[in-house]
Amino acid sequence: MSTPALLALAEELVAFGRKNGASQAEVLVRQGTEFSVDVREGEIEKLTEADSNGLTLRVFVDGKMARASSSDLSGETLHRLMANAIDRARLSSADPLAGLPEKNPLAIDVAALKIYDPALLDMPPEKKIAAARETEAICLADKRIKKSFGAGYRTNVGATLLANSNGFSGSYTRTSCSCYVYLQAGEGSNLFDEGWGDESPFLGRLETPEEIARKALHRVTRLIGGRKVETQNVPVVLEPPMTGSLLSFLFNCVNGNSIYLKQSFLAGKVGEQVGNELVTIIDDGTLPEGIGTKPFDAEGVPTQKTVVMEKGILRSYLMDTYAARKLGMKSTGNASGANNLYLAAGTSTPDEIIKSVSKGLLLTGTIGFGLVPTTGDISRGAFGLWIENGEIAFPVSEITISGNLGQILRGIQMVGNDLKFKDSITGPTMKIAEMTVGGK
Amino acid sequence: MIDINRRAFLRRGGIGLAATLTSGLWFDLLARGAVPPPSATLFEERFGVTREQMRAILASALSKGGDFSELYFEYKIRNSVRMEEDIIKDSSENITLGVGIRVLKGAQTGYGYTDDITFEKMKRTALTAAAIAAGTSRLSVADLTQKVSPLQVYDLQTPMKDVLLKAKVEMVKLAYTAAQSHDKRITKVQAGLMDEIQYVTIANSEGLIISDARPQVVLFVSSTAEENGVRNTGFKAAGGRTGQDFFLKTETPASIGNAASADAITLLSAIDPPAGEQPVVLGSLQSGVMIHEAVGHPLEADGNRKKTSIMWDKLGQQVANPIVTIYDDPTIPHHSGSMNVDDEGTIPTKTMLIEKGKLVGFLQDRLSAKLMNMDPNGHGRRASYRDVPIPRMANTVLGTGDAAVEDIIKSVKKGFFAETYQGGQVSDSGKFTFSVNMGYLIEDGKLTRPVKNATLIGTNVQILNEVEMIANDTRYFLGTCGKEGQSASVTAGTPTLKLRQMTVGGRS
Repeated sequence: MSTPALLALAEELVAFGRKNGASQAEVLVRQGTEFSVDVREGEIEKLTEADSNGLTLRVFVDGKMARASSSDLSGETLHRLMANAIDRARLSSADPLAGLPEKNPLAIDVAALKIYDPALLDMPPEKKIAAARETEAICLADKRIKKSFGAGYRTNVGATLLANSNGFSGSYTRTSCSCYVYLQAGEGSNLFDEGWGDESPFLGRLETPEEIARKALHRVTRLIGGRKVETQNVPVVLEPPMTGSLLSFLFNCVNGNSIYLKQSFLAGKVGEQVGNELVTIIDDGTLPEGIGTKPFDAEGVPTQKTVVMEKGILRSYLMDTYAARKLGMKSTGNASGANNLYLAAGTSTPDEIIKSVSKGLLLTGTIGFGLVPTTGDISRGAFGLWIENGEIAFPVSEITISGNLGQILRGIQMVGNDLKFKDSITGPTMKIAEMTVGGK
Repeated sequence: MIDINRRAFLRRGGIGLAATLTSGLWFDLLARGAVPPPSATLFEERFGVTREQMRAILASALSKGGDFSELYFEYKIRNSVRMEEDIIKDSSENITLGVGIRVLKGAQTGYGYTDDITFEKMKRTALTAAAIAAGTSRLSVADLTQKVSPLQVYDLQTPMKDVLLKAKVEMVKLAYTAAQSHDKRITKVQAGLMDEIQYVTIANSEGLIISDARPQVVLFVSSTAEENGVRNTGFKAAGGRTGQDFFLKTETPASIGNAASADAITLLSAIDPPAGEQPVVLGSLQSGVMIHEAVGHPLEADGNRKKTSIMWDKLGQQVANPIVTIYDDPTIPHHSGSMNVDDEGTIPTKTMLIEKGKLVGFLQDRLSAKLMNMDPNGHGRRASYRDVPIPRMANTVLGTGDAAVEDIIKSVKKGFFAETYQGGQVSDSGKFTFSVNMGYLIEDGKLTRPVKNATLIGTNVQILNEVEMIANDTRYFLGTCGKEGQSASVTAGTPTLKLRQMTVGGRS
């Protein structure tokens, strides 16, 4: 179905809901075209091509909500789902704060967001396969590489369409291409996996096979020979992907839903100094070419640039309409989650940061789930490089790192100048005063 | 950064999985309490896809010279109810309908899928998948013969699909109220019920056609306790491929709510774990996650066929202490990972992985089994019709030993006892972690202070040799397993066991 036809379908379903007893209705449709190739040891392992649809709807009947979703867009199914949802809504409890966002004029210039690359539509599959093969071949030429888990290339074209009974009707299309390789190195049973991948809305912005291969090789070979260290408290330097991982956890702690449910250590702390002055954290759904850029969120609220923390002072949570009403605030356009969430760049070079550490850990990878938003506690498996006297000394593995996000935010000592928007949640290199490394 | 190579086990629950069935006309086909009629190919009756059409699509898929083609039809209805802040916040009904078309050519896979199951669209999708091969048709498609699984591993006596939404709302309220009234320090509760029924039909170019109708239900509660500015969250989920009776007889909504709140209250006085290497006792409640990560994932056939798993060259070797026996059994009645038939039409069998310390088998799907010249054992699973089947666990179990739980704890002078988990994660290289939500210190052979948020880390080769004592109090942990972006419902079971030494991540 064409984009206008899908939008018409969404509008029709909203009208059907209103006519059949919904005080408010909202229909969101996603349509995507996917290409993906995985190669391993030079051969194509899997080739997938598909297009798909998905529809979600919400209805409110006198403040009572119900939801539904379907991959089947036949009129019969959708009308049945809408009617069922209206029936079910009556069994929910009335909640005066539940409902659609207020009518909000959408004044965003979608073209200025730069999330659509027509060149991607014309790229022949052979070129995508060749890029994946080339990325892997460069890596396999390196004798230190024991095995390849494979390399891959993916493209996606995705349309998002939203209509609601407050008169909102809008759509946008984004493109995405990505390339990755994942490798194994090491000896005997002391093996390490690492890799690298890159994603962009624009073909021309994607890292070349050479760049991706070089980074993947660097990331895996530097771990060879990793060993445990003694249990101790030391400064920890996070590489940019690790800063991003810490910010993903921070998102859970500033997400409006965690706040009104009091499942975050940051609940009730807006206006307070929760980090030191090096800490400025921003979510920007309008960032041109951003991986998380979109003109409006999953409720049709325009995205914006939200300062979450400014020089350590908590300024705002990231909220959808309901959480914002619960907290007496305004939606920040985060009904789809974090948009582009990042730690603002500092002034130090990554080299200066490593040089400042007399003994500590350069964290390059984590494994496991030990993240508790209620307390801010962090406990994870870790990999990295040991730093001694400002120099990389040797690789470490099978250790754990533990700390607390509240203490970390107050104890950030240096922030790097190497911020790049390669992920929707990201940040530069940074140095944390102290975490516990668990080892021998 | 695209993280493709981690395999993870997360405890079941959360809003994304929450859910309830309302009646759809589709359910009219299945009488109350009845086993689905084995001869019915549901997609023929409900969606009008005839066997002739299936054969024609399978033939299109082979038209470029593939060795094998397959259709995977899926129709799934998942419903949920969610309660928080003392009110039913919402309910949802989610429909998944589509077909995945797979073509194999040697070790290569061509895949296409569509949610539009008209003949024309399926045929186009088949031609896309066919392009993995670049020649002309060599094989014809056999006549489709209905096969019926001899297994019936689901509890269909009181199916959730027949339970009215009102009754489901009551179950959620009971769990919520029990959690809230457990202790006055409980400040917030969330409770949810998710149930689904998934209909699948698999047809392939070798002439197989087989169907399954799989129920699944989970009730979960998350409780937050607060005292003197300290806040902690406890969690409990229960369910399986079962029905309403489970919540009357096995785990009542109230027991689930109480368990979540009890954890939250205990955690209020919990301390940070002591960091470093120490003896570790894994309690039976949820420690199956260790078996899942340390043994299950590394023994999935794909990683061994590709020689990326640390175990690929160890078949027939002694890899663990002889007291260790580990198997995966998709035929355990009513468990969350159980299946009458896997997602490629193979009838699953209990599969020995490690027998008395010796590595004896892998978890196989069709492709790996063929390339490794072994038999498939019914572990080919997929998250949805959008995904290719890959070798997965179902219900992974460590066999019982003869030690008494008290003796195991008594044998530890100073160590750590792990009780509840957030989950675990493993890399292909065999390095894994478990994230312990709550445990206890062991001091002079006794459990003493509660401990929160500890990480255990190790490598599978090492941990298998650290198992020193095993009890016989097996319990199963309900979880969702993630691999290559695909999720699967699983359980993992273990008795209480002792590890001589493991690294515990904590604070010092």
